Amino acid sequence: MEKPSIPILKSGDCLITSPQVALHDKLAVQFKNDILQRIVETKAKGLVLDVSAIDVVDSFLVRQIGEIAAASSIMGGHVVVVGLRPEVAMALVEMGFSLEGVHTAVNLEKGLEVLHKIWRR
Amino acid sequence: MLKGKTQEPIIESTVLIDVDTQKLKRELSTLLEHNAEEIRSQWIKEMQGQGLLAALSPTEIEEQSKVIYDTCLLCLKTGSYEVAQKYVASMAKKAVLQAMTVDQIIAGLLILRDIYARFIFEWYQKNPTKWRNVNGIYEPVARRILNIATQAFVAERESTIKQLQQQEVAKLSTPIADVWEGVIMMPIVGVLDSARAKQITESLLERISREKTELIAILSIGGIAAIDTQTANYILRTVHAIKLMGSEMIITGIRPDVATTLVTLGIDLSGIVTRSTMREGLEYAFDKLKLKVTKTS
Repeated sequence: MEKPSIPILKSGDCLITSPQVALHDKLAVQFKNDILQRIVETKAKGLVLDVSAIDVVDSFLVRQIGEIAAASSIMGGHVVVVGLRPEVAMALVEMGFSLEGVHTAVNLEKGLEVLHKIWRR
Repeated sequence: MLKGKTQEPIIESTVLIDVDTQKLKRELSTLLEHNAEEIRSQWIKEMQGQGLLAALSPTEIEEQSKVIYDTCLLCLKTGSYEVAQKYVASMAKKAVLQAMTVDQIIAGLLILRDIYARFIFEWYQKNPTKWRNVNGIYEPVARRILNIATQAFVAERESTIKQLQQQEVAKLSTPIADVWEGVIMMPIVGVLDSARAKQITESLLERISREKTELIAILSIGGIAAIDTQTANYILRTVHAIKLMGSEMIITGIRPDVATTLVTLGIDLSGIVTRSTMREGLEYAFDKLKLKVTKTS
Protein backbone atom coordinates (compact mmCIF):
# COMPACT_ATOMS: atom_id res chain seq x y z
CA MET A 1 0.00 0.00 0.00
CA GLU A 2 1.15 3.52 -0.77
CA LYS A 3 2.25 5.64 2.14
CA PRO A 4 -0.20 8.40 2.99
CA SER A 5 1.10 11.67 1.58
CA ILE A 6 -0.96 13.88 3.88
CA PRO A 7 -0.33 13.23 7.57
CA ILE A 8 -3.34 12.25 9.66
CA LEU A 9 -2.69 12.65 13.37
CA LYS A 10 -4.50 10.97 16.22
CA SER A 11 -5.28 12.66 19.50
CA GLY A 12 -7.48 10.76 21.91
CA ASP A 13 -10.59 9.71 20.07
CA CYS A 14 -10.01 12.28 17.42
CA LEU A 15 -8.18 12.40 14.11
CA ILE A 16 -6.68 15.68 12.97
CA THR A 17 -5.53 16.40 9.45
CA SER A 18 -4.51 19.54 7.64
CA PRO A 19 -3.57 19.25 3.96
CA GLN A 20 -0.98 21.89 3.05
CA VAL A 21 -0.82 21.14 -0.66
CA ALA A 22 -3.36 21.59 -3.41
CA LEU A 23 -5.65 18.57 -3.44
CA HIS A 24 -5.85 17.53 -7.07
CA ASP A 25 -8.26 14.75 -8.01
CA LYS A 26 -5.98 11.75 -7.54
CA LEU A 27 -4.60 13.03 -4.27
CA ALA A 28 -8.10 13.85 -3.02
CA VAL A 29 -9.28 10.28 -3.62
CA GLN A 30 -6.19 8.88 -1.94
CA PHE A 31 -6.68 11.32 0.94
CA LYS A 32 -10.27 10.16 1.39
CA ASN A 33 -9.25 6.51 1.39
CA ASP A 34 -6.43 7.19 3.85
CA ILE A 35 -8.78 8.95 6.25
CA LEU A 36 -11.40 6.19 6.12
CA GLN A 37 -8.66 3.60 6.59
CA ARG A 38 -7.34 5.47 9.60
CA ILE A 39 -10.81 5.77 11.13
CA VAL A 40 -11.18 1.99 10.88
CA GLU A 41 -7.70 1.37 12.28
CA THR A 42 -7.93 3.77 15.21
CA LYS A 43 -11.66 3.49 15.89
CA ALA A 44 -11.71 7.27 16.08
CA LYS A 45 -15.01 8.92 16.82
CA GLY A 46 -14.27 12.25 15.23
CA LEU A 47 -12.25 13.96 12.53
CA VAL A 48 -11.16 17.58 12.29
CA LEU A 49 -10.33 18.59 8.74
CA ASP A 50 -8.41 21.85 8.64
CA VAL A 51 -8.66 23.39 5.18
CA SER A 52 -7.18 26.79 5.97
CA ALA A 53 -4.32 26.17 3.53
CA ILE A 54 -6.62 25.33 0.64
CA ASP A 55 -7.49 28.28 -1.53
CA VAL A 56 -8.99 26.52 -4.54
CA VAL A 57 -11.86 24.06 -4.27
CA ASP A 58 -13.54 22.33 -7.19
CA SER A 59 -16.75 20.34 -7.19
CA PHE A 60 -14.84 17.06 -7.19
CA LEU A 61 -13.00 17.93 -3.99
CA VAL A 62 -16.26 19.09 -2.43
CA ARG A 63 -17.78 15.71 -3.24
CA GLN A 64 -14.82 13.93 -1.69
CA ILE A 65 -15.25 15.91 1.53
CA GLY A 66 -18.96 15.11 1.49
CA GLU A 67 -18.17 11.43 1.01
CA ILE A 68 -15.67 11.48 3.87
CA ALA A 69 -18.36 12.96 6.11
CA ALA A 70 -21.03 10.49 4.98
CA ALA A 71 -18.78 7.44 5.26
CA SER A 72 -17.38 8.37 8.66
CA SER A 73 -20.82 9.09 10.06
CA ILE A 74 -21.86 5.60 8.96
CA MET A 75 -18.87 4.34 10.93
CA GLY A 76 -19.95 6.38 13.93
CA GLY A 77 -17.58 9.33 13.51
CA HIS A 78 -18.25 13.04 13.14
CA VAL A 79 -16.47 15.37 10.75
CA VAL A 80 -15.73 19.00 11.52
CA VAL A 81 -14.37 21.16 8.73
CA VAL A 82 -12.42 24.12 10.09
CA GLY A 83 -10.66 27.17 8.71
CA LEU A 84 -12.63 27.66 5.50
CA ARG A 85 -11.52 30.78 3.67
CA PRO A 86 -14.18 33.33 2.76
CA GLU A 87 -13.73 32.90 -0.99
CA VAL A 88 -13.86 29.11 -0.64
CA ALA A 89 -16.94 29.31 1.59
CA MET A 90 -18.69 31.48 -1.00
CA ALA A 91 -17.67 29.13 -3.81
CA LEU A 92 -19.03 26.14 -1.89
CA VAL A 93 -22.36 27.85 -1.31
CA GLU A 94 -22.57 28.83 -4.96
CA MET A 95 -21.87 25.23 -5.96
CA GLY A 96 -24.81 24.22 -3.80
CA PHE A 97 -22.76 22.31 -1.26
CA SER A 98 -25.15 21.18 1.45
CA LEU A 99 -24.11 21.40 5.06
CA GLU A 100 -25.67 18.08 5.93
CA GLY A 101 -23.49 15.76 7.95
CA VAL A 102 -20.62 18.23 8.15
CA HIS A 103 -20.01 20.47 11.12
CA THR A 104 -17.98 23.63 10.75
CA ALA A 105 -15.86 25.74 13.08
CA VAL A 106 -13.56 28.70 12.88
CA ASN A 107 -10.32 26.94 13.80
CA LEU A 108 -8.88 23.68 15.10
CA GLU A 109 -9.45 24.61 18.73
CA LYS A 110 -13.12 25.40 18.20
CA GLY A 111 -13.43 22.32 16.01
CA LEU A 112 -12.29 20.10 18.86
CA GLU A 113 -14.74 21.88 21.16
CA VAL A 114 -17.54 21.11 18.70
CA LEU A 115 -16.56 17.43 18.69
CA HIS A 116 -16.50 17.25 22.50
CA LYS A 117 -19.92 18.90 22.60
CA ILE A 118 -21.29 16.29 20.19
CA TRP A 119 -19.78 13.42 22.20
CA ARG A 120 -21.26 14.71 25.43
CA ARG A 121 -24.75 14.50 24.01
CA MET B 1 -31.30 74.10 -68.32
CA LEU B 2 -29.81 77.36 -67.23
CA LYS B 3 -29.52 76.13 -63.67
CA GLY B 4 -27.70 73.01 -64.78
CA LYS B 5 -25.20 75.07 -66.70
CA THR B 6 -24.43 77.40 -63.84
CA GLN B 7 -23.98 74.49 -61.48
CA GLU B 8 -21.48 72.62 -63.58
CA PRO B 9 -18.50 74.93 -63.25
CA ILE B 10 -19.03 75.18 -59.49
CA ILE B 11 -18.80 71.41 -59.09
CA GLU B 12 -15.75 71.32 -61.32
CA SER B 13 -14.03 74.06 -59.38
CA THR B 14 -14.65 72.41 -56.00
CA VAL B 15 -13.28 69.17 -57.36
CA LEU B 16 -10.33 71.11 -58.65
CA ILE B 17 -9.74 72.70 -55.25
CA ASP B 18 -10.06 69.28 -53.63
CA VAL B 19 -7.42 67.85 -55.93
CA ASP B 20 -5.23 70.83 -55.12
CA THR B 21 -5.59 70.45 -51.37
CA GLN B 22 -5.02 66.72 -51.68
CA LYS B 23 -1.82 67.40 -53.56
CA LEU B 24 -0.74 70.02 -51.06
CA LYS B 25 -1.63 67.73 -48.17
CA ARG B 26 0.49 64.97 -49.68
CA GLU B 27 3.33 67.41 -50.21
CA LEU B 28 3.10 68.60 -46.60
CA SER B 29 2.99 65.12 -45.12
CA THR B 30 5.93 63.97 -47.24
CA LEU B 31 7.80 67.06 -46.14
CA LEU B 32 7.10 66.39 -42.47
CA GLU B 33 7.94 62.75 -42.94
CA HIS B 34 11.31 63.49 -44.53
CA ASN B 35 12.24 65.96 -41.83
CA ALA B 36 10.81 63.89 -39.02
CA GLU B 37 14.13 63.33 -37.24
CA GLU B 38 15.06 67.01 -37.30
CA ILE B 39 11.67 68.25 -36.08
CA ARG B 40 11.42 65.57 -33.44
CA SER B 41 14.87 66.20 -32.00
CA GLN B 42 14.12 69.93 -31.89
CA TRP B 43 10.84 69.18 -30.13
CA ILE B 44 12.52 67.02 -27.50
CA LYS B 45 15.21 69.63 -27.00
CA GLU B 46 12.65 72.35 -26.41
CA MET B 47 10.59 70.23 -24.03
CA GLN B 48 13.73 69.32 -22.10
CA GLY B 49 14.66 73.01 -22.00
CA GLN B 50 11.39 73.68 -20.21
CA GLY B 51 11.93 70.72 -17.87
CA LEU B 52 8.84 68.88 -19.10
CA LEU B 53 10.53 65.52 -19.54
CA ALA B 54 12.47 65.31 -16.28
CA ALA B 55 10.49 62.31 -15.05
CA LEU B 56 10.91 60.20 -18.20
CA SER B 57 13.82 57.97 -19.19
CA PRO B 58 15.61 58.56 -22.54
CA THR B 59 14.08 55.41 -24.08
CA GLU B 60 10.61 56.49 -22.96
CA ILE B 61 11.13 59.95 -24.46
CA GLU B 62 12.35 58.41 -27.72
CA GLU B 63 9.45 55.94 -27.95
CA GLN B 64 6.66 58.27 -26.89
CA SER B 65 7.78 61.19 -29.04
CA LYS B 66 8.04 58.92 -32.06
CA VAL B 67 4.57 57.50 -31.51
CA ILE B 68 3.06 60.96 -31.03
CA TYR B 69 4.84 62.32 -34.10
CA ASP B 70 3.73 59.40 -36.28
CA THR B 71 0.16 59.61 -34.97
CA CYS B 72 -0.07 63.32 -35.81
CA LEU B 73 1.33 62.63 -39.28
CA LEU B 74 -1.16 59.81 -39.80
CA CYS B 75 -4.05 62.12 -38.86
CA LEU B 76 -2.80 64.67 -41.39
CA LYS B 77 -2.37 62.05 -44.09
CA THR B 78 -5.59 60.10 -43.71
CA GLY B 79 -7.87 62.74 -42.19
CA SER B 80 -9.03 60.08 -39.74
CA TYR B 81 -8.56 60.77 -36.05
CA GLU B 82 -9.43 57.36 -34.68
CA VAL B 83 -5.78 56.42 -34.15
CA ALA B 84 -5.16 59.64 -32.23
CA GLN B 85 -8.26 59.12 -30.11
CA LYS B 86 -7.26 55.58 -29.24
CA TYR B 87 -3.68 56.53 -28.49
CA VAL B 88 -4.56 59.47 -26.29
CA ALA B 89 -7.17 57.47 -24.39
CA SER B 90 -4.67 54.70 -23.70
CA MET B 91 -2.06 57.27 -22.78
CA ALA B 92 -4.41 58.97 -20.34
CA LYS B 93 -4.86 55.63 -18.59
CA LYS B 94 -1.25 54.49 -18.72
CA ALA B 95 1.28 54.79 -15.97
CA VAL B 96 3.66 56.81 -18.15
CA LEU B 97 1.31 59.63 -17.45
CA GLN B 98 1.77 59.38 -13.72
CA ALA B 99 5.25 60.77 -14.33
CA MET B 100 3.90 63.75 -16.30
CA THR B 101 1.06 66.04 -15.33
CA VAL B 102 -1.71 66.95 -17.73
CA ASP B 103 -0.47 70.52 -18.18
CA GLN B 104 3.01 69.21 -18.98
CA ILE B 105 1.62 66.98 -21.70
CA ILE B 106 -0.56 69.72 -23.16
CA ALA B 107 2.43 72.09 -23.03
CA GLY B 108 4.46 69.47 -24.88
CA LEU B 109 1.81 69.16 -27.60
CA LEU B 110 1.60 72.95 -27.91
CA ILE B 111 5.37 73.08 -28.41
CA LEU B 112 5.07 70.48 -31.16
CA ARG B 113 2.38 72.60 -32.83
CA ASP B 114 4.63 75.68 -32.71
CA ILE B 115 7.58 73.78 -34.12
CA TYR B 116 5.49 72.50 -37.00
CA ALA B 117 4.20 76.01 -37.68
CA ARG B 118 7.71 77.48 -37.64
CA PHE B 119 9.02 74.74 -39.86
CA ILE B 120 6.19 75.27 -42.37
CA PHE B 121 6.79 79.01 -42.34
CA GLU B 122 10.51 78.61 -42.97
CA TRP B 123 9.89 76.21 -45.81
CA TYR B 124 7.23 78.22 -47.62
CA GLN B 125 8.18 81.80 -46.70
CA LYS B 126 9.21 82.58 -50.28
CA ASN B 127 5.71 81.74 -51.47
CA PRO B 128 3.13 83.46 -49.21
CA THR B 129 0.07 82.14 -51.12
CA LYS B 130 1.21 78.57 -50.81
CA TRP B 131 2.14 79.15 -47.17
CA ARG B 132 -1.38 80.37 -46.46
CA ASN B 133 -2.89 77.35 -48.22
CA VAL B 134 -0.64 74.93 -46.32
CA ASN B 135 -1.60 76.60 -43.08
CA GLY B 136 -5.22 76.14 -44.05
CA ILE B 137 -4.58 72.40 -44.13
CA TYR B 138 -2.29 72.17 -41.15
CA GLU B 139 -4.08 74.35 -38.61
CA PRO B 140 -7.41 72.45 -38.40
CA VAL B 141 -5.53 69.19 -37.95
CA ALA B 142 -3.45 70.64 -35.11
CA ARG B 143 -6.54 72.11 -33.46
CA ARG B 144 -8.39 68.84 -33.72
CA ILE B 145 -5.54 66.80 -32.24
CA LEU B 146 -5.15 69.17 -29.27
CA ASN B 147 -8.88 69.06 -28.76
CA ILE B 148 -8.91 65.27 -28.72
CA ALA B 149 -6.03 65.18 -26.24
CA THR B 150 -7.65 67.63 -23.84
CA GLN B 151 -10.99 65.89 -24.01
CA ALA B 152 -9.41 62.50 -23.32
CA PHE B 153 -7.67 63.79 -20.21
CA VAL B 154 -10.79 65.44 -18.88
CA ALA B 155 -12.81 62.28 -19.50
CA GLU B 156 -10.19 60.12 -17.80
CA ARG B 157 -9.99 62.37 -14.78
CA GLU B 158 -13.76 62.49 -14.47
CA SER B 159 -14.09 58.71 -14.63
CA THR B 160 -11.32 58.28 -12.04
CA ILE B 161 -13.03 60.68 -9.65
CA LYS B 162 -16.36 58.94 -10.21
CA GLN B 163 -14.82 55.54 -9.53
CA LEU B 164 -13.20 56.71 -6.30
CA GLN B 165 -16.43 58.29 -5.16
CA GLN B 166 -18.36 55.12 -5.85
CA GLN B 167 -15.83 53.08 -3.88
CA GLU B 168 -16.08 55.47 -0.95
CA VAL B 169 -19.85 55.44 -0.99
CA ALA B 170 -19.88 51.64 -1.23
CA LYS B 171 -17.59 51.39 1.78
CA LEU B 172 -19.72 53.78 3.79
CA SER B 173 -22.91 51.96 2.88
CA THR B 174 -21.87 48.75 4.64
CA PRO B 175 -20.57 49.73 8.07
CA ILE B 176 -19.72 47.04 10.59
CA ALA B 177 -20.26 47.90 14.24
CA ASP B 178 -18.55 46.01 17.05
CA VAL B 179 -21.37 45.51 19.50
CA TRP B 180 -19.76 43.12 21.93
CA GLU B 181 -16.88 40.70 22.02
CA GLY B 182 -17.84 38.18 19.35
CA VAL B 183 -20.86 40.13 18.16
CA ILE B 184 -20.86 42.41 15.14
CA MET B 185 -23.75 44.27 13.65
CA MET B 186 -24.38 45.59 10.18
CA PRO B 187 -27.34 47.94 9.86
CA ILE B 188 -28.54 48.39 6.29
CA VAL B 189 -30.48 51.49 5.43
CA GLY B 190 -31.84 52.50 2.05
CA VAL B 191 -31.87 50.51 -1.15
CA LEU B 192 -30.52 46.99 -1.03
CA ASP B 193 -29.62 45.89 -4.55
CA SER B 194 -27.46 42.98 -5.58
CA ALA B 195 -24.34 45.15 -5.86
CA ARG B 196 -24.74 46.28 -2.27
CA ALA B 197 -25.59 42.74 -1.16
CA LYS B 198 -22.31 41.62 -2.72
CA GLN B 199 -20.48 44.35 -0.84
CA ILE B 200 -22.15 43.21 2.40
CA THR B 201 -21.10 39.61 1.77
CA GLU B 202 -17.55 40.56 1.01
CA SER B 203 -17.04 42.80 4.01
CA LEU B 204 -18.70 40.36 6.42
CA LEU B 205 -16.74 37.34 5.19
CA GLU B 206 -13.53 39.32 5.14
CA ARG B 207 -14.14 40.51 8.68
CA ILE B 208 -14.94 37.03 9.95
CA SER B 209 -11.84 35.52 8.38
CA ARG B 210 -9.72 38.32 9.83
CA GLU B 211 -11.13 37.92 13.31
CA LYS B 212 -10.12 34.24 13.62
CA THR B 213 -12.71 33.65 16.33
CA GLU B 214 -16.35 32.70 16.28
CA LEU B 215 -18.58 35.65 15.57
CA ILE B 216 -22.28 36.26 15.60
CA ALA B 217 -23.17 38.71 12.88
CA ILE B 218 -26.45 40.57 13.12
CA LEU B 219 -27.72 41.87 9.81
CA SER B 220 -30.34 44.48 10.52
CA ILE B 221 -32.46 45.15 7.46
CA GLY B 222 -35.14 47.21 9.19
CA GLY B 223 -34.19 50.21 7.11
CA ILE B 224 -34.64 48.75 3.67
CA ALA B 225 -37.72 49.41 1.60
CA ALA B 226 -37.81 46.43 -0.74
CA ILE B 227 -35.95 43.29 -1.69
CA ASP B 228 -35.70 41.25 -4.90
CA THR B 229 -35.02 37.57 -5.51
CA GLN B 230 -31.39 37.99 -6.47
CA THR B 231 -30.59 40.06 -3.41
CA ALA B 232 -32.45 37.69 -1.10
CA ASN B 233 -30.54 34.78 -2.59
CA TYR B 234 -27.30 36.62 -2.08
CA ILE B 235 -28.07 37.12 1.59
CA LEU B 236 -29.05 33.47 1.98
CA ARG B 237 -25.77 32.44 0.43
CA THR B 238 -23.92 34.73 2.80
CA VAL B 239 -25.64 33.10 5.76
CA HIS B 240 -24.58 29.66 4.52
CA ALA B 241 -21.02 30.78 3.76
CA ILE B 242 -20.67 32.27 7.22
CA LYS B 243 -21.95 29.02 8.68
CA LEU B 244 -19.34 27.12 6.69
CA MET B 245 -16.69 29.34 8.20
CA GLY B 246 -17.85 28.37 11.66
CA SER B 247 -19.67 31.56 12.55
CA GLU B 248 -23.30 32.55 12.55
CA MET B 249 -25.40 35.25 10.99
CA ILE B 250 -28.87 36.26 12.02
CA ILE B 251 -31.24 38.65 10.32
CA THR B 252 -33.28 41.16 12.27
CA GLY B 253 -35.92 43.74 11.55
CA ILE B 254 -37.57 42.23 8.51
CA ARG B 255 -40.48 44.56 7.84
CA PRO B 256 -43.93 43.19 7.08
CA ASP B 257 -43.83 44.15 3.40
CA VAL B 258 -40.34 42.70 2.97
CA ALA B 259 -41.49 39.52 4.74
CA THR B 260 -44.48 39.32 2.40
CA THR B 261 -42.20 39.75 -0.59
CA LEU B 262 -39.88 37.00 0.65
CA VAL B 263 -42.78 34.62 1.13
CA THR B 264 -44.33 35.53 -2.22
CA LEU B 265 -41.02 34.99 -3.96
CA GLY B 266 -40.86 31.56 -2.37
CA ILE B 267 -37.56 32.15 -0.62
CA ASP B 268 -36.88 29.52 2.00
CA LEU B 269 -35.67 31.08 5.22
CA SER B 270 -35.73 27.84 7.20
CA GLY B 271 -32.51 27.21 9.04
CA ILE B 272 -31.87 30.93 9.29
CA VAL B 273 -32.36 32.66 12.59
CA THR B 274 -34.51 35.75 12.28
CA ARG B 275 -35.65 38.17 14.96
CA SER B 276 -38.12 40.98 14.68
CA THR B 277 -35.99 43.71 16.24
CA MET B 278 -32.33 44.50 16.59
CA ARG B 279 -32.75 44.28 20.35
CA GLU B 280 -34.06 40.74 20.18
CA GLY B 281 -31.22 39.88 17.85
CA LEU B 282 -28.76 41.16 20.42
CA GLU B 283 -30.52 39.17 23.13
CA TYR B 284 -30.17 36.05 20.98
CA ALA B 285 -26.45 36.73 20.57
CA PHE B 286 -25.98 37.23 24.33
CA ASP B 287 -27.89 34.03 24.94
CA LYS B 288 -25.59 32.16 22.58
CA LEU B 289 -22.53 33.61 24.27
CA LYS B 290 -24.04 32.74 27.67
CA LEU B 291 -24.01 36.38 28.67
CA LYS B 292 -26.60 38.06 30.85
CA VAL B 293 -27.28 41.73 31.22
CA THR B 294 -28.36 42.69 34.75
CA LYS B 295 -28.97 45.92 36.58
CA THR B 296 -26.34 46.90 39.12
CA SER B 297 -27.96 47.53 42.44
